[in-house]
Amino acid sequence: MKIVRLFRRLGIAAALLLVMLATACIPLPADPNWGHLSLAGDPQQILFAFHDRIVLINPIDGSVSQLRDPEGNPRYDDQNNPRQWSVQVTGGEQTRFYSTPLAGADNTLIAASYDKRLFEIDFPNARVISSDGIPVGGHIVTDPISDGERLYVGLSEGDLIALDMTDLASRVWTLETQRGVWSEPLLADGRLYVSSMDHNLYAIDAETGSEIWRLDLGGALSESPVLYEGNLYVGSFARKLFRISLDGQITAEYPTTEWIWGTPAIVDDTLYVGDAAGWVYALALSEDGFTPVWSRQVATRVIRATPIVTEDSVIVASRDHKIYWVSRNTGAAIFERNTDAEILANMLVIDSEDNPSLSEPLLIVSTMANDKLLFAYTLDQGDLRWRYAR
Amino acid sequence: MDIIVNVFVTLLTFLYSVLNHDMVLAIVVFTIITRLLLYPLTAQSLRSSKAMQQLQPELKALQEKYKDDREKLAQEQMAMYRQYGINPLGGCLPMIIQMPIFFALYGAIQFALAASPTHLLDLSGRLLVPGLDNAIPLNASWLGMNLALPPNISESPIGFVLIGFIVVTTWMQMKLSMPPQPKLAPGEQPNAAAATSQSMTTIMPLMYVFFGLSFSIGVSIYIIATNVAMITQGLVSGQSKLSYLTGKRDDPATTPSVLTKVEGRKVSKNATPSKPKSISDGKNKPTTQKTGSKAK
Repeated sequence: MKIVRLFRRLGIAAALLLVMLATACIPLPADPNWGHLSLAGDPQQILFAFHDRIVLINPIDGSVSQLRDPEGNPRYDDQNNPRQWSVQVTGGEQTRFYSTPLAGADNTLIAASYDKRLFEIDFPNARVISSDGIPVGGHIVTDPISDGERLYVGLSEGDLIALDMTDLASRVWTLETQRGVWSEPLLADGRLYVSSMDHNLYAIDAETGSEIWRLDLGGALSESPVLYEGNLYVGSFARKLFRISLDGQITAEYPTTEWIWGTPAIVDDTLYVGDAAGWVYALALSEDGFTPVWSRQVATRVIRATPIVTEDSVIVASRDHKIYWVSRNTGAAIFERNTDAEILANMLVIDSEDNPSLSEPLLIVSTMANDKLLFAYTLDQGDLRWRYAR
Repeated sequence: MDIIVNVFVTLLTFLYSVLNHDMVLAIVVFTIITRLLLYPLTAQSLRSSKAMQQLQPELKALQEKYKDDREKLAQEQMAMYRQYGINPLGGCLPMIIQMPIFFALYGAIQFALAASPTHLLDLSGRLLVPGLDNAIPLNASWLGMNLALPPNISESPIGFVLIGFIVVTTWMQMKLSMPPQPKLAPGEQPNAAAATSQSMTTIMPLMYVFFGLSFSIGVSIYIIATNVAMITQGLVSGQSKLSYLTGKRDDPATTPSVLTKVEGRKVSKNATPSKPKSISDGKNKPTTQKTGSKAK
């Protein structure tokens, strides 16, 4: 009898162990998206949106900016603690920010949350105007943009929607796609160029939402196109880079090793882009199309962020935790920096033109690790100036 | 593990692309393929369970004979299992082997369905066949639910139905794979391995409720399809009977035996057979006792 009981208990223990093993083997759910960097305020400071918070960071030392009154004096709360510029929405469904807040009217910011809502933020006071937010009907993983009259928001499951800037609860029009919009549209000359995960690049009348043309590029489009000298340039999961005329014709294409995730950078008629295998391509642009200047496997994992191009170098960041400085002319490695965390967000450059207190331009890099969210390096030498952790 | 996941991801994506972009159908077909490949293991498990059941009379006899000597009973039971080539835990081995496959499939479904940009990033580089990129991203929508996410009961009651199917099919599959044990006489000890198996029949469906609520709907569909495939395999091969669900035992008179004694060990050329020994039985009469294994 004792053996029977022992066997039964062993059986239960084995079952429990199985459950624990299964749970341990299930990967913890990662954040669905990465952080977004932008500049805000006067003088400009770093606005960083990631996970449950939006913060304003002082570019001098990486500290969270302190709220100040109109005279510039620091503000304090009831316990005499300095008030910091940090926004976190509490209550109701969990709110997550994975896109750059947009400047709205009357010194406000419009922040798009992953939990299908927009929030208006009182910028001087770092205060959410209404914690209920404005429902938009879909998850948001991309920056909203505006032409002053309408706010355009891509939804990750399907549509691009246009909202009235004076009444964000009022929808003006909807563009339906099959697989969602994961990047902000490009707005140019009254048109929106929309990259969709359903493989199509759409050209839309920004005022009416009517489709002008759509072009199937054979693979998902996860990032915005760039407009340069009358042509659109965009990469896709078809492992190709495309040049597209404004009337919707493919006029050139270039094969890449893996998916292209990020928006290319174009400087002095040369296009720079990274792919999901860690390759970086430098392609000269001409009427004939793309002419390779150099291509090199710079990183060991995905390069998603748009490259930063300086006078001498191209700077790329990878999911392999590193930031690479390579020669702009040859692609040869110059140096690299290791952050020990995945880098997927676009990088940001801030200099003395943005903030006169800065003595040198800084490269701001965001990772997905809470204990090392932001790094600030000098742009040319890669010297670490500060880190921000949450 | 990565190579297994990549193969699964590639296969799933291929099936999706040829099956009219129907992810549920792709998961079901994938399940059928894996079940066919794992059939030898599954068949062995069913045979093992059936053999255990048919061995019950002999096991009972041993229990009666050695009821006061647990150690001897255990030894004799193991000897009997060896004699018939039975592994008392033979039903568990296929399950254990399938666990890495299950985990790899779980990962493959999560990667393939990619509910968000971060998840989709994990998919890049995993497609082993060129040209499958044009199927990405896969359509994760089914009956108003997202196949890449766990069921949201508050948003769709279909999640309840799914969990219910998991529980029912898991219970049926376990019941059908383990023939009912004979009723115990008053005071009779239940067979330990059989008792464990019966416990698992109760515990496993409950565990799968937890799995169903935690895992993505795509994985739940795989679990249901797997259970249905295993039930079908057992019934078609004759290893299982629907009567097992009601606890009805096989009629020993009409059920063919699956027990076959393992042949004796081969004797090497150089070995000499052991000679019979004469020993005293305490009554001054010599007794001859044969030793050694049976000759062929």
